[in-house]
Amino acid sequence: MIDFARVQKELQECSRDIEASGIRVSPKSDNLGCLIGTIPGPIGTPYEGGTFQIDISLPDGYPFEPPKMQFATKVWHPNISSQSGAICLDILKDQWSPALTLKTALLSVQALLSAPEPDDPQDAVVAQQYLRDYQTFIGTARYWTETFAKASSLGVEEKVQKLAEMGFPEALVRSTLEAVGGDENLALEKLCSG
Amino acid sequence: MDDCLSSDEDYYYSDRDSLDGLENEEADFQCAPPKGPSTKVITKESLLSAQKEDLRKVMDMLSLREHHARTLLIYYRWDAERLLAVLVEKGKACLFAEAGVKVVEHQDLDSPSFPTITCDICMEDLPSEETTRVDCGHCFCNNCWTEHFIVKINEGQSRRIRCMAHKCNAICDEAVIRNLVNKRHPDMAEKFDRFLLESYIEDNKRVKWCPSTPHCGNAIRIEDDEFCEVECSCGLQFCFSCLSEAHSPCSCVMWELWAKKCRDESETVNWITAHTKACPKCHKPVEKNGGCNLVSCICGQAFCWLCGGATGRDHTWSSITGHSCGRFKAEREKKSERAKRDHYRYMHYYNRYRAHIDSFKQESKLKETIQERVSVTEERDSRLRDFSWVNNGLSRLFRSRRVLSFSYPFAFYMFGDELFKDEMTQEEREIKQHLFEDQQQQLEANVEKLSKFLEEPFDQYGEDKVMEIRMQVINLSVITDTLCQKLYDCIENDLLASLQFGSHNIAPYKSKGIERASELTTCWKANNSDKYLPSDCGASGGTAEFDQPSGSGSSDESGCPLRKRARKDGLGGGLFDLNLPAEVVDRN
Ligand SMILES: [Zn+2]
Ligand SMILES: [Zn+2]
Ligand SMILES: [Zn+2]
Ligand SMILES: [Zn+2]
Ligand SMILES: [Zn+2]
Ligand SMILES: [Zn+2]
Ligand SMILES: [Zn+2]
Repeated sequence: MIDFARVQKELQECSRDIEASGIRVSPKSDNLGCLIGTIPGPIGTPYEGGTFQIDISLPDGYPFEPPKMQFATKVWHPNISSQSGAICLDILKDQWSPALTLKTALLSVQALLSAPEPDDPQDAVVAQQYLRDYQTFIGTARYWTETFAKASSLGVEEKVQKLAEMGFPEALVRSTLEAVGGDENLALEKLCSG
Repeated sequence: MDDCLSSDEDYYYSDRDSLDGLENEEADFQCAPPKGPSTKVITKESLLSAQKEDLRKVMDMLSLREHHARTLLIYYRWDAERLLAVLVEKGKACLFAEAGVKVVEHQDLDSPSFPTITCDICMEDLPSEETTRVDCGHCFCNNCWTEHFIVKINEGQSRRIRCMAHKCNAICDEAVIRNLVNKRHPDMAEKFDRFLLESYIEDNKRVKWCPSTPHCGNAIRIEDDEFCEVECSCGLQFCFSCLSEAHSPCSCVMWELWAKKCRDESETVNWITAHTKACPKCHKPVEKNGGCNLVSCICGQAFCWLCGGATGRDHTWSSITGHSCGRFKAEREKKSERAKRDHYRYMHYYNRYRAHIDSFKQESKLKETIQERVSVTEERDSRLRDFSWVNNGLSRLFRSRRVLSFSYPFAFYMFGDELFKDEMTQEEREIKQHLFEDQQQQLEANVEKLSKFLEEPFDQYGEDKVMEIRMQVINLSVITDTLCQKLYDCIENDLLASLQFGSHNIAPYKSKGIERASELTTCWKANNSDKYLPSDCGASGGTAEFDQPSGSGSSDESGCPLRKRARKDGLGGGLFDLNLPAEVVDRN
């Protein structure tokens, strides 16, 4: 059984210093087992200026078992799969400690963005580029940040939430957003027109 | 070649039977008897005390509590010698840190104990009596600890459950774990204890489960050299290193390959493909018997031996009318030649290996015949009383046969291309092979002679002739024993020691055959409340075949010229003897 009381406390604690950390964790739905985390791209990296969303799912044994985290935003990084967003990070595996929290885990993910470890890659293609052609790597990572992490200051989930709050059915909001490539205004236009 | 396995089975069991009742053998002309068996049987019942015995030593040595000693020993795979070597080399602090042992010198009594403590895991404020502080100083609530322990036990990590704090390497106190888990899940606590107990076998490089099927429930603990052959109290003899049947002087790798080769029908299949070809019409295998390449099947179909294609009958030595192949002629011929050559080489060694096993089986039957002859002679004649020489000669014969048979697969790999192609030049190989075969043949000749004399119907002979046979048997027994030892020495020192790639080790030659491991029994001394004296009860009675008062230590191998083998006598060096009571260790 997930310790929901602790998750609740973690969420409160996290929103309390959101200004300082820039790290946000919010539930995807009423079920506290599925959450979405948001981290700002670290300054001085090709991820700077981007906002990255991370899907979080809590196993039954949380916090005694590590949370499962996966990038929802596409990102170009040696330790993150460019396909699936899977993250290769020790504290999400055997180095997890129940004393860590979602916030500290997300901070570690953020730190990973600043300090890639190409010797223990999740994405071999990216890792090779990182090692052999660093400039191209920087360029690609920056381009991906521009394209996928900056389209709007809002993440998909927040757009969905916002549009749903206007009274549109959530499923329709999702499919419309998808159809217009995530542009909130176009989606709203489409939803209103029909 | 199916019978190869089952007959090995027979061979093996009859060997064991033949060893029964030979306790006193050869004592009259052998060197000083070796020390009592250094291998120990650990039964379900003695597992706990065997483990405690090792724990005790480390606890005494380092003045540690039991769970710390266990943590250290598990980390060092129950190798107390290595543990002590690390202690000497790197110091206590480093030894403990690496293994995750945190010893609190004195609990910080001055730190005020707050009535409530915030658990960093569940983030609740709890009365301090509902929390537990472990050795590293980290404190969390009992509920959280319990959850953590259960997750780890379920993950199979019972032996090394770390503290919950991030980056804290400390291993949790097993008493705390047992205590807390037991309150909520007694079955889990049991599981935890079993894991800890079995760690003594599973994480221990000196202990292995007996490979018997169905399993006898025992494990065997060896003294120092993992390359040895042992006999469990269930009767199974095996190679401690690879757990298959005893196979010296073959190395484990060689034996594995050889056993597989014998099992593999592919050898036969290779032979068939090299020597026969399927008829293109009726598909029966046809053997080639003439010199030319036209073969004909009993169905009347003629075909080309080289390509297998159907042809007419009109042909010359070099060609078949109206048929042209020859494209792969050279290659095919070479391949088939090679397969044939390899097969013949294998058969050469296999036949001799087999022959000794077969002789062995024949000779095993001799045992009964000889008993009859002994009783006949005993009744008939009063002057001849001692017939131990027949039995001793017979068991010498069995052991030497065994050595001889395993020396063939050894030679097959030692001087073949499969394992050591790049190890030596052709010239070196020939010299070595010559050296080896010379010794092997000497041994073979003497074994056959011994066999011949043992088969003599001495019960029908006069006294003088019997005395003569007795002399011969005793002589030949000594000679074959010496030759076996020399063969092992040659294999170990001249052949295997010079290998550059890959290492092959063999179990040492045991003149008296494979030792039966003695029961390990540790006895509690009633009056010593917290100290118990482990003692090797096996050496003071019961099954021990080569009894020697334990601890006399004077019966070392120096008296024996044959035992020049320089095995590491690690324990003799006096660091630490797992089979000595802690008190003795302390004294040293
Ligand atoms: Zn707690
Ligand atoms: Zn700790
Ligand atoms: Zn056994
Ligand atoms: Zn072996
Ligand atoms: Zn035919
Ligand atoms: Zn012909
Ligand atoms: Zn042909």
